[in-house]
Amino acid sequence: MSFTRFLVRRTFMVIPLLLGVVFITFMLIRVGGLDPVGQLAGPTATQAEFDMIREDLGLDKPLWQQFLIYTGNVLQGDLGESWLSNRPVLDDMLERAVISLELLFWGVGIGALVGIPVGLRAAFRPNGRFDQVTRVLSLLGFSIPTYWLGLVMIFVFFYLLGWAPPAIGRISLMIFPPETITGSYLIDGLLTAEWEAAWSAATHLILPVVCLAIVSAAPIIKQTRAIALEVLSSETVRYARACGLPKRMVRKLVFRNSAVPVLTFVGTEVTGLVGTMSLIEYVFAWGGLGQYGLNAIVRGDFTAVQGYVLALALFSVLVFLVVDIVVHLIEPRSELT
Amino acid sequence: MADATDPGLGAAPAPAPRFSLWNRAVGLARLSPTAAAGLLIILFFGVLALAAVWIMPHDPVSSYTDRILQPPSAEHWFGTDGNGMDVFSRVIYGAKFGFGIAIPAVILSLVIGIPVGLIAGYRGGYLDEVLMRFFDGLRVFPSIILALAVVAATGQSLLNVILVLGFLDSPVFARVVRAEVLALRSSNFVESAVAAGNPTWRILFVHLLPNAIQGAMAQTAVRAAWAVRISATLAFLGVGIQAPTPEWGAMIRQGAEFMITGQWWVALFPGLALIFLVFGLNLFGDGLQDVMDPRRRAAK
Repeated sequence: MSFTRFLVRRTFMVIPLLLGVVFITFMLIRVGGLDPVGQLAGPTATQAEFDMIREDLGLDKPLWQQFLIYTGNVLQGDLGESWLSNRPVLDDMLERAVISLELLFWGVGIGALVGIPVGLRAAFRPNGRFDQVTRVLSLLGFSIPTYWLGLVMIFVFFYLLGWAPPAIGRISLMIFPPETITGSYLIDGLLTAEWEAAWSAATHLILPVVCLAIVSAAPIIKQTRAIALEVLSSETVRYARACGLPKRMVRKLVFRNSAVPVLTFVGTEVTGLVGTMSLIEYVFAWGGLGQYGLNAIVRGDFTAVQGYVLALALFSVLVFLVVDIVVHLIEPRSELT
Repeated sequence: MADATDPGLGAAPAPAPRFSLWNRAVGLARLSPTAAAGLLIILFFGVLALAAVWIMPHDPVSSYTDRILQPPSAEHWFGTDGNGMDVFSRVIYGAKFGFGIAIPAVILSLVIGIPVGLIAGYRGGYLDEVLMRFFDGLRVFPSIILALAVVAATGQSLLNVILVLGFLDSPVFARVVRAEVLALRSSNFVESAVAAGNPTWRILFVHLLPNAIQGAMAQTAVRAAWAVRISATLAFLGVGIQAPTPEWGAMIRQGAEFMITGQWWVALFPGLALIFLVFGLNLFGDGLQDVMDPRRRAAK
């Protein structure tokens, strides 16, 4: 199958999934007994006002019509207006997306850079001391609540040691943020040679990034180990060993053959980590998409919740798509399931 | 492992009843020391939860207004929180919430997931396809966010937290059972059961269930760990369980603001308890999967 054909087929496979995603987000606020109308109208509204808002939101129509209207709006990029900010949800989210992606990039990047070699090393000597220690550590990493880890880090590094800046926002309040180019204060600061701003942004990044890296490394270690173990016991590797290939070459072979499943796993993990990351944003008052979404959930801003959940789902679909494409490039044999 | 190779006979004959529990514990410790350690941790918290009334030195929700935010002392081992409540007693009482949410939630997941998996795997076809697509669709949403959003949308009560967690996690079990049923569907014992004229429900629940359930049971401890974690996260955000309740996540929420002013004990201890219980469940669950899943056992 040629690459273009693969690309087209794989992209088309996304459509039914997207429909399902839109349906689930649509149902999300309709399964509940909560009435968004009451929220908008306020406590002093009259029945006439209630009816007007209901009509305004199209809630008087039958459910299937509402779904079609909602799908149509989503396709046009209209996600409704946030009740908290009085602005279109899409604008609110686009503003914050880069802020979150920056955190996600560093956190998962470092988590993978640490986790994959550690997992491989553990697999090369299963049940050795290194393996046992990392196994317990990674299970511990699974068990630590992210938000608590963030709080403890703030206590230790800000309150006790005074190394970290106060955990509010992405840059010191005393420093002007650099001119917006990418939206990341660190990169923008470096690009515009605003060293002070870049430095401040970097110091603000460290704690949340380390927090996210710890949480993301744990499953990567566990999964990489499992994958490498399976590869090690595969016929290819056993044959290579039987032929007397030097250890270095065998390791290279294992690495090469583990790459695809490990990559796929990191891809799926990223989509789940977006949820975890929102908690880190919440604790560090990061001001990104995750904090926006959690705020919307906690305050009951259901249009924003809907938009946020939809955005996360679209992000996952996109990540899966990209992973599949990259996997296909590495290993053209892989077929569509 | 009375398993798929001699189906239809049910479980292996029970060993001598008097010592079986002890024997099993020893057997587990030998097979997987980490699982045994995990089980010990779980039992420790189980005792805390059951005997909380006798262990707690103070009432977990009565506030000593003259002792607000006191550091750990002989009187208050874990200090007092912003309301002047004894953190030690509250942490112990919190174990009740951990188990009280996780156990019913996992049971609910099993009760929903297993029949769905059985039917989808056995019937196949259109129904199976639709169900699996639906589960795929659910997987695209990060579980924490989905749980949060659904609890926030459907009403904030403890019961609702349990229902939502149980419901959202049921696909995990449905998938495992479905995969097993798919493998067993065309085996001889099922075919002979069909030929003998058994009704479908009997084939599903009497013939297939005992052979397909093992993978699902191996998942229970890990899923319980998930439920404990997520429910605490919800409480930390103030969704579902509200602040003065002595639940660990809610206590961490109360202590969050004091972390930047140096009163670490309010959030630290409930967090440690949470980690410890989740860690125990994960350790046990990890060992359980190793012991029960022949493929994982072979890989070791």
